[in-house]
Amino acid sequence: MEEILKVENLVKVYGEHRVVDEISFQVYKGEIFGLLGPNGAGKTTTMEMIEGLRKPDGGTAAINGYDIVKEKKKVKEVIGVQLQSTSLFELLKVKEIMQVYASFYPSSLPIDAILGDVSLTEKEDSFVKQLSGGQKQRLAIALALVNDPSVIFLDEPTTGLDPQSRRALWDIILRLKKRGKTIFLSTHYMDEAQILCDRIAIMDRGKIIALDTPNGLVNGLNMGTAIEFHREAQIPLQTLESISGVRKAREKEEWVTLYSDNLQATLTDLVSLTSEQGIQLVDLRTRTATLEDVFLSMTGRRLREE
Amino acid sequence: MRGYGQLTLAQLRLFWRNKKVLFWTLLFPIFFMLVLGSFLGNGNNTMVEAVVIDQDRSSFSKTLTEKFADVQGLNVKEAGELPTAKKQLEKGDTQLIVVIPKGYGEWSLSKDKKREAPQKVILYYDETKINTSQLGLSVMNQVIDGISKQMTEYRPVLVAESTPLRSLDLGYIDFLVPGIVAMMIMSNNMNGVAGQIASWRERGILRRMQTTTLAPGAFIAAQITSRLMLNGIQALLLILIGYFVFGTQVNGSWLLLIFFIILGTLTFMSIGFIIASLAKDPEQAGPMAGFLSFPMMFLGGVFFPISSMPDFLQPVVQVIPITHLTTAIREIMNLGATIQELWIPGVVLAGWAIVAFTVSALTFKWE
Repeated sequence: MEEILKVENLVKVYGEHRVVDEISFQVYKGEIFGLLGPNGAGKTTTMEMIEGLRKPDGGTAAINGYDIVKEKKKVKEVIGVQLQSTSLFELLKVKEIMQVYASFYPSSLPIDAILGDVSLTEKEDSFVKQLSGGQKQRLAIALALVNDPSVIFLDEPTTGLDPQSRRALWDIILRLKKRGKTIFLSTHYMDEAQILCDRIAIMDRGKIIALDTPNGLVNGLNMGTAIEFHREAQIPLQTLESISGVRKAREKEEWVTLYSDNLQATLTDLVSLTSEQGIQLVDLRTRTATLEDVFLSMTGRRLREE
Repeated sequence: MRGYGQLTLAQLRLFWRNKKVLFWTLLFPIFFMLVLGSFLGNGNNTMVEAVVIDQDRSSFSKTLTEKFADVQGLNVKEAGELPTAKKQLEKGDTQLIVVIPKGYGEWSLSKDKKREAPQKVILYYDETKINTSQLGLSVMNQVIDGISKQMTEYRPVLVAESTPLRSLDLGYIDFLVPGIVAMMIMSNNMNGVAGQIASWRERGILRRMQTTTLAPGAFIAAQITSRLMLNGIQALLLILIGYFVFGTQVNGSWLLLIFFIILGTLTFMSIGFIIASLAKDPEQAGPMAGFLSFPMMFLGGVFFPISSMPDFLQPVVQVIPITHLTTAIREIMNLGATIQELWIPGVVLAGWAIVAFTVSALTFKWE
């Protein structure tokens, strides 16, 4: 696989705080690479250093072989960027703002084609201020495409969107991938990372704590199936972990999660154990382990604090 | 200069579509012209308010009162009692009290006036208002002197013949309109640029542009071009409104006028860019620009002549750019001044423009 972005020991320090702490990874051509982590993990800072918006305090990165610090201009020509919070000129029409951004580059793609790609053709004569949240986000992606970039950076592209708009945006991102574009996105939604990404780097407190395919991450932990229930009375964790098939037991508030590699045996034992002790099992459910469980098991915290 | 043309066009579109702002930025100066122009418009021909108290009540005293009333520049009213009239003077309602004492008529009838003690007409005036009082007093003295000479059949042997020459007949509106034009150039550019750039920076619009291959120079050049077009048109429109609606004179070259409008726009726009760089957010940029433009509005000869400023403020007045812009525009419009006569304001403004532009280019940041 051809490497398109190479990051080596990248560091960003604010005051005493190492926001990005010596991270290294590669992104391959044509893949969707995800940076998954909670708010404040350092995802945006990482992306903005690669995009040339912030100066790294250490380490290097190169896109298409161009150094992000020394060859900033070359880098800008081959990347397309959607920032986490950009507002656009509200009083320009969709087509006009596309023309403005296209004029910034030595060469650009036809605007009609791009608007078609992001399903905004009907809105080309609408003012930006008349667009919905999802349409604005699609326009932001369209603007990231005007220079026909090799790598597209999307910083939390679906944050704040309703489920329907999120799905529409996922379709667009997957379509871009089919066309051979390389996409680097950040998200704190594990479902988004799982559905879109070919490979995921899990980031926490400035460090990358795991990097693999979504399945690789989940299977690598050997967690099997997760069994969750709401408990009415205290059951010691040791007791729970002694149940057959259980690899690990966790407790958070009144919720108990058991990770089992033998669902049938574990469930049978769990039911008899609780019956003996006269404990009521409420809201019992089973599911396969997810990236959320991966994150939880690695950091002891949830991706998003609810 | 990639992006320059499209950005200029986009900015002009934004101006045009934001008609509310366009409307108010033009209405505000016109409103100033209307209000100040009509209130203070007659300030040039000063009227002296005078009160005549006729204690004699004869046909002779009546004739004298009428003579006073005939004098130009004197607004004469008759009053009954001296104490009431004095109160009026103290309140500032009148500047002069003329008392024709009892016995004036009898004295007028007497044959040989030269032998008698001279008859008195008593004048009270407001000594705090020297200008108008002096004017009133000298007019009164002239009238009284005339009568006195007539009664004694005095023949002058030496007379001074005065021939009035017509100078430029300039009213307050002629003074005001150039000041308002300069004020508009200052506030639209300085406050306008500072507010807009600070807000674009806060909203991340500039940041997004920074990820593209757009050069900062192209962005600034587009801002300058579009604002020159907008503010040039607004300033000219204001002068035309002054010219056709208020009858303001334009005695000098329109080309020179446009030159100074451009120079002023460049200067204040650059200052606006500096403010935008210094301000942390748009909420700060507004007051910062106001803090600079408000004193300049009063010190820089917009509403009052620079010479009326106290001496200790003169060094400040002579340094700030607005003074030189108002001076240049006013002298071109009022006196038809040429570029040779206006080299000082021209050089000072150009100096300000160069320094401010350099500083603004050095301090400009996308975020």
